[in-house]
Amino acid sequence: MTCDDVRPRLTAYLEGDLDPDRGTVVRGHLRTCDACRKIAGQEATLRDELRALPTLDPPSTMWTSIQAQLAAAEVAESKRPAWKRALARWTPMLPRFAMGGVLAAAAVGILVWRTHGSEPRTKLVDTPSPQIQSSAPPVAMAPTPGCDLEAPANTDVTTDLATEPARRAACHAQTADELLALANEARGTWTAEQRASFDAQVAELRTAIDAAEDGRPRERAWRAMNRYLLNTLTRDQVALAAGGLQ
Amino acid sequence: MNELAEPIAAPLAAPLAEPRPRVAANITDDAQLIAACRRGEARAMERLYHQYKRRVFGMAHRIVGASDAEEVAQEVFVRIFRALANFRGDSALSTWIYRLTVNAALSHLAKRGRRQEVGDDGLTEVPAPPVAERDSALASRIEAALAELPAGYRAILVLHDVEGLSHEECASILECRVGTCKSQLHKARARMRELLGDSLSPGGES
Repeated sequence: MTCDDVRPRLTAYLEGDLDPDRGTVVRGHLRTCDACRKIAGQEATLRDELRALPTLDPPSTMWTSIQAQLAAAEVAESKRPAWKRALARWTPMLPRFAMGGVLAAAAVGILVWRTHGSEPRTKLVDTPSPQIQSSAPPVAMAPTPGCDLEAPANTDVTTDLATEPARRAACHAQTADELLALANEARGTWTAEQRASFDAQVAELRTAIDAAEDGRPRERAWRAMNRYLLNTLTRDQVALAAGGLQ
Repeated sequence: MNELAEPIAAPLAAPLAEPRPRVAANITDDAQLIAACRRGEARAMERLYHQYKRRVFGMAHRIVGASDAEEVAQEVFVRIFRALANFRGDSALSTWIYRLTVNAALSHLAKRGRRQEVGDDGLTEVPAPPVAERDSALASRIEAALAELPAGYRAILVLHDVEGLSHEECASILECRVGTCKSQLHKARARMRELLGDSLSPGGES
């Protein structure tokens, strides 16, 4: 091993990071090479001196200053609107919610696949509306004879599926109401132009919801509304964090 | 060490620079301390402050210099207490605090660099503030040389050599690979040796 081989390995040797075989080779070289031994000695001295540097004490008043800054921050925090505090609390958890959403979507997907996948395809094609299907439940859904647990009369799965879009639309409507309430709290900080733009957009989305057919089209329209409201609130929060709304 | 500088009279008997002995990390009751701080218990917060104040202040002092060290250390502790509620324990508390400190110190240097960049067109590395006094003691020379290094070299030397952290801990704090840490340490020490010259050799100039 030459000096050019050994010198790049001296730090690793001094840190004990070399395997025993390489370590022995480096030691052997150091025993016979004056120049490399000098470098190794200097680096070891440097390492030991750095480790022995004295600890530095902060000024005795530092803790008092930190407490004052924390108190000032808490006062400022208490004056922020509730919706901003709530948004700030939830923002760090968004990645976990995203993962939860993916898992929930997968679970719903499997459930739907198992529910629909077990029915013959022709039944879905021949059935023009869920209402008709609910009046004539498939034989497979009838209670098993001799089963101890009798299902209540209104637990017909096809009825549930028929009312599901309406139920989901109601959930979307409720979410939109909550987001609109948050937006109304926030609009005090907006410019007149931003308020007008927001009102116009919300009115347009409402018209689209009213015009949409029942079922999935209306659900999609509600989702568009909620997406807009959430994006508006998030942008508002980001703009505040970046130094205020423009 | 004196023997190292001498000609090879009896090479087989010459003592060599030794590898650093491995030290096991201390196990502390960080979880209880964090829980108490989250509940806003003043004594727990003060205890956490006293537990880490020297390390935070010392690192800030050696990375940004004496004039701004207190400002950076205060900023770090305010961040610690405000962000403790979101600390998930993915890393040790000490690692998290070191990371906050290094990031705050490097950000501070970057901001200061931007403020000072007028007229500094050729500046490629963020300079440390000059050390006020240089006496003849080797420790003082080392502190002065440390202040001459680029910020990245300073950070790895402070974390690894001054604070005594492992390469794995340094890599976690600096958010880089272990191999990068080792390579940076090698270069940083080589630069320090250049700056310090013979004062590191036994019997060197003092």
